[in-house]
Amino acid sequence: MTTTTASLATGRRVRRRTVLAGSLALTLAGCGFVNTDGGDASGGDGDTTTLTAYVNTELNTGLTPLIEKYERATGVTIDVSSAETNDLNQQLRVQLTSGTAADLIRVSPGYSSPVAVGVLASDGDLADLSDEPWTERLSDDTRPLAGVDGKTMAFPVSRNAIVMAYNKEVFADAQVEPPTTWSELLQVCERLRGAGVTPIAAPFQDGIYLQFWMYALGATLVYAEEPDLDDRMRAGEVDFVDHPGWNEVFAKWLELRDAGFFSEGALGIPFDQGMQSVAKGEAAMLLLVSAGLPQLFSYAEQGAEAFGVFALPATDDPGDTHVPLAPDFLAVNAASDNVEAAKDFIAFLARPENVAAYANAMGVLPGLDVDVELESAVLDPILPLIEQGRTTPYANYLWPNGDTQQRLLQSGQLLFDNKITTEQLLTEMDQEYDKGTP
Amino acid sequence: MTVRLDRPAERVEAQELGRTLADRRGGTWYLFVVPALAFYALVVLYPTVAGAWYAFTDWTGRNVAPNFVGLANFAELFSSPPARTALWNTLVIAAATTVIQTVVGLALALALHSALVTRNLLRTVFFAPALLPPVVIGFLWRYTLTPAGPLNDALRELGLGGLAQNWLGDGDIALASVIGVIIWQHTGLTMVIYLAGLEGVPAEVLEAAAIDGASWWQRLRYVTIPLLIPATTVAMSLTLISGLKLFDQVFVMTGGGPGYATETLSVIMYKEAFVSGRYGYAAAIALVLTMIVFAFAFLQLRALRRFEVEA
Repeated sequence: MTTTTASLATGRRVRRRTVLAGSLALTLAGCGFVNTDGGDASGGDGDTTTLTAYVNTELNTGLTPLIEKYERATGVTIDVSSAETNDLNQQLRVQLTSGTAADLIRVSPGYSSPVAVGVLASDGDLADLSDEPWTERLSDDTRPLAGVDGKTMAFPVSRNAIVMAYNKEVFADAQVEPPTTWSELLQVCERLRGAGVTPIAAPFQDGIYLQFWMYALGATLVYAEEPDLDDRMRAGEVDFVDHPGWNEVFAKWLELRDAGFFSEGALGIPFDQGMQSVAKGEAAMLLLVSAGLPQLFSYAEQGAEAFGVFALPATDDPGDTHVPLAPDFLAVNAASDNVEAAKDFIAFLARPENVAAYANAMGVLPGLDVDVELESAVLDPILPLIEQGRTTPYANYLWPNGDTQQRLLQSGQLLFDNKITTEQLLTEMDQEYDKGTP
Repeated sequence: MTVRLDRPAERVEAQELGRTLADRRGGTWYLFVVPALAFYALVVLYPTVAGAWYAFTDWTGRNVAPNFVGLANFAELFSSPPARTALWNTLVIAAATTVIQTVVGLALALALHSALVTRNLLRTVFFAPALLPPVVIGFLWRYTLTPAGPLNDALRELGLGGLAQNWLGDGDIALASVIGVIIWQHTGLTMVIYLAGLEGVPAEVLEAAAIDGASWWQRLRYVTIPLLIPATTVAMSLTLISGLKLFDQVFVMTGGGPGYATETLSVIMYKEAFVSGRYGYAAAIALVLTMIVFAFAFLQLRALRRFEVEA
């Protein structure tokens, strides 16, 4: 009897320990402390390489056919995870810190976020891609955003432009043409208002869409003349508040507001309602990033045919107009075991036919300076500017931290609402700028 | 030698029994306690203490060994105008929702604690918004409150176009709009708490008061409300705490704007951590928010407990 009790007790202890051990293993596996896939970065069988990639949803869509093509050609497997850009930015930072980041990662340009190329490259998180042949085909608007200290640390998969989209029918009804100078823009707005249409949709409820105006006007009024302005600002030689170009940017924006050319109640209008108002013909124009054009087209029955685009003029000389461009970057995790394999995949993406395939699939501008015949004619009006090199990076990507932009987004709304002055806003931006890169 | 003889027999018996049980277990009780305590320490205590520690550093989420910066993060929090605005907005939202939600919730509960035929339907209707996820509520009202949205359209249809506003886009009224949405969503929950409390009010006490000639108002003022203080304690504590921590609806409806008009501590904490990568500063904001929640909840609980009576 005693023996039986003892063995039962022992059996219970063993079961308890087994359950405890199992629970612990499950918990640790759930917490990520235990590798449960039983494989390594090379796929575990020693014959095939498995690359991991963590990108935003746009890149995932555009890269999928190219990845399939690459996998067929090389036998390499690419395991892609994707998330919305904001979610990705939050998670990527944690992943890099914990050593669980993918081999290929989507990173923001310049220093615009905690996971931007400049910030991560300075921390040694990105592999150096400077020796890759495709770096010779980086455009001037992209090169300053693609690395630090003259090194290239990221590959531009595509580029987006800030453009003014307009409703062709509304323009035709008001008998106006796309303006090429600032004075023409004011005249067109006046004619449109006379025709009973809101000249410019201004969905500024989210400051993100307000900032496009500063970057589009700043391309012509600031960076066209002074492409190295931010080098001087970082050196403390110049600041926002005393810079004539930046003051003129805000003066012109407020000129449109004071003339009543923007939507009424702009700070309460969400962006998609702004797009819908242009699609319905209630408003005539909308400033947006070219990546947003497919969404705009989806709101009109005729689709892309209903709209045209032009570069926002800021002076009375059409030859002055520049257009801001921003790349979507893919970089290689420096801590990856597959750096060379990842570089090989990027070299594949950099082939002209693949650059063209991505641009056409997504309706965006090619990431590299290659001869690409775009299937869509939507962006034709701004292609001559790109060919002539009349492009600049988005201003915020050149700033040393994301807080300067954040201040523009929020205090910019206050300026629009007449709660503060341009001088106050620019002083606040200077304060954030001077904090430098975190 | 002194012998104490004043130990109650039950206590002696319990102590003896406890000793016997402990002896029978062979002193292995700690095997059951230690894993749970270790798990609690790992997933609750350590992150809490570590989070508090980061509030005194310049941690960016990337630097493995952040620098100790003393009270610099707290100094910035209390000196930065946007952060001060967020702190003020947080207190205004918490105070307004607590007071208005309690009063309206009580009124609804009193109205629906009756023989009204449609009372169950109305209870469901008023409680339904509390069941929806805050993000859904945020998106719903974000579009309802646009200048060309359904609310302004309805006002114009009713000939009240003069009352139409840029509800979320006008910095002077945006905070009030947000507060209105929070109250709309959660008043049903307060109503349900009060309905449960009203079930506990003895009918005979109310009848006795009525026989003694007390009016409806006097019965409410001197009988019902004092007996509802426990329900009030629960309702006000929950509302105050959720008001202080408010994030989802603000983030979805306004993102803290226009400008900084609807910024709350939770929203700037999110932005500082995940947008700017200033985790140390965000931890300081979180620590201050935690202290505020503790302090207000404790004070409110103590104050309300004083008024509690037994039926």
